[in-house]
Amino acid sequence: MKFMPLRALARTLLKELGLALLLLLGVSFVVFIILYAAPGDPFSVLLEGQMPSEQALAGIRVALGAQQSWYGQYLSWLHNVLGGNFGTSVRTGMPVAGELIHVSLNTLYLTLGSMLVTLFIAVPIALYSSMRGHSVAISWPLTMLGYVFSALPVFWLAYIVIYVSVHGFGFFPLSSGMGDGWLYTLVPVLVLGLGSGTISEVIRYLREEMSRVMAEDYIRTARAKGASVWRHAFKEGLLLPVSEIFAAKIPFILGGAVIVEQIFNWPGMGRMAWQAAQDRDFPVIMGIALIAAIFVRLGSMIQRMVFTAVNPHGARD
Amino acid sequence: MTAPLLKIDNLRTYFYARRKQAFVRSVDGVSLEVGRRETVGVVGESGSGKSITAMSVMGLISSGPGVIGGSIHYASDKVQRNLLDGLENFVQLEQSDGRVMAVSKDERGWQKASEKLMAGMRGREIAMIFQNPRASLNPYLSVGEQITEAVRLHGGITAAKEARERALHWLERVKIDTPHLRYNTYPSGMSGGMCQRAMIAMALSSEPSLLIADEPTTGLDATIQSKIVDLLQELKSETGISTLLISHDISVITRLSDRVAVLYGGAVVEYGPARQLLDAHAELKHSYTAALLASVPNEQKIRARANLQAIEGEVLDTINVPPGCRFYARCNRITPEIRDKCATLHPELKEVAPGHQVRCWRFVN
Repeated sequence: MKFMPLRALARTLLKELGLALLLLLGVSFVVFIILYAAPGDPFSVLLEGQMPSEQALAGIRVALGAQQSWYGQYLSWLHNVLGGNFGTSVRTGMPVAGELIHVSLNTLYLTLGSMLVTLFIAVPIALYSSMRGHSVAISWPLTMLGYVFSALPVFWLAYIVIYVSVHGFGFFPLSSGMGDGWLYTLVPVLVLGLGSGTISEVIRYLREEMSRVMAEDYIRTARAKGASVWRHAFKEGLLLPVSEIFAAKIPFILGGAVIVEQIFNWPGMGRMAWQAAQDRDFPVIMGIALIAAIFVRLGSMIQRMVFTAVNPHGARD
Repeated sequence: MTAPLLKIDNLRTYFYARRKQAFVRSVDGVSLEVGRRETVGVVGESGSGKSITAMSVMGLISSGPGVIGGSIHYASDKVQRNLLDGLENFVQLEQSDGRVMAVSKDERGWQKASEKLMAGMRGREIAMIFQNPRASLNPYLSVGEQITEAVRLHGGITAAKEARERALHWLERVKIDTPHLRYNTYPSGMSGGMCQRAMIAMALSSEPSLLIADEPTTGLDATIQSKIVDLLQELKSETGISTLLISHDISVITRLSDRVAVLYGGAVVEYGPARQLLDAHAELKHSYTAALLASVPNEQKIRARANLQAIEGEVLDTINVPPGCRFYARCNRITPEIRDKCATLHPELKEVAPGHQVRCWRFVN
């Protein structure tokens, strides 16, 4: 019965996928160039403290394919990636692909979880203060609270939370794996959700959007015909802004995840990237850059899909 | 004689201009009636309180203090009630010389009680169409869905398929071509005139007793305007619906109205049968009505290449309402005998002919 714009959705999906491919190509190229131009190489890390003979060095160079020209290296990397081979880590000698899947799932959990925490706090406050804008007595302190949370630096908040949970509740929220202690994993999620600095912005954006929509002519029509204002305001006032926030904030949260993963020893992309950057572990860095770009792209793809589903003919932009 | 369908009595709706720390007296004592099967036109310049009157009837004023007094008696076959019944308990007015100086209103209590009184009214008993039809339809729902929603809310039809049939029926009745195709169209895909037709279909689909048309032709092309007026006229004779027609366009008012109320500065200055009131040559007339009529082009004036007459002066500043006649500063018919009264005393509505009232000292002996 309900009219679903399947064709428009499929078209958007295809367009977004094509765009994503181009973007990933660009990202990988830029990251590669930066790595290539940056001082230091994996060998100095790999052979630290050793005095290799010229012959051994040359052997390693051949093994790592480093004697090719820079574009040759990039092209062979690209060729391998298209075949599903992300190379082997210079540091551990293990294939990168399996490790990447593992850490990216962990980071996905952390990112989505903290996004949910942010939204769970921000959406009610935003809705309340846009609906009852007049009753400053409650909406103002709530908004203030959002600003206070945003002002807390995430590394500070993380240490405070560790301190409190160790001394106050007697448990140590540093999980080395994702095993049985799923409760422990909530702590970093909460910390990132509260401290990523996005809450106040999300509150402000959602409130403005909702207030703007509530003043639209078609909401007046809805009220005049005795229909639920909510039903009519939901799409433009909540669904679209939330999906926009979702897409726009993923890069920020990924950035925050690097810090949180370090502090909580969370086996995610951020920690792995940090380690790999110190080791000049090119294949790992390239892989993580690619995955991060995929995350960001996925966010905006979801946003575009929501937008298309809600608004199949581009009634408004 | 049965009670009129809608009887607005001494309605007052104020707003507070925070910057100027003063009241905007948008509607300041409006009284008018809409009988059954009757179309009452409300005419006046922008800012004369026409739309605010309509929104007050619907209970849709949301900024403060809003409606602060009066009564709105509604009496259809199904519902008889005063839509402002008991609401005066939530308002305290401080008056001096009959003018409101301060208002304290229990906004929440008022809203709650008003919502209770408006239950089953909006959409079901009183439907409303607006200017700017394209913005008035939800851009995220297809036109058909929006009409079906109204049918299911008020038409007593809950089955999805039946409601859809009914919506299609109404799309046909407002003369939208290929209703089956248009059902799934979004407002962005239709012209303004077509959107207004859809709005009319949506309003009438729940078979209300009263239709409030708030500037239904404003913002549409001239040719489309005329077609919308034709449609309203036709539907009126088919369904016998009562209409409160708000417009600043005298030609629209002329074509549709049985009776006309002329609003100026938040009050009715003339009220009477359309034919009498809109006759430019009739003598018994408020000078504002005369000026309004003189500012409208017609065939005669165009042939004679006569200049249209603009009304001199500014629209009444409803913040600093003068004590005398509200049109005093712009009136061109003041005679020396009544000048003092015009400047200092607000005239009452006075019957000058059966059913024809004018608020002017010239007709008070």
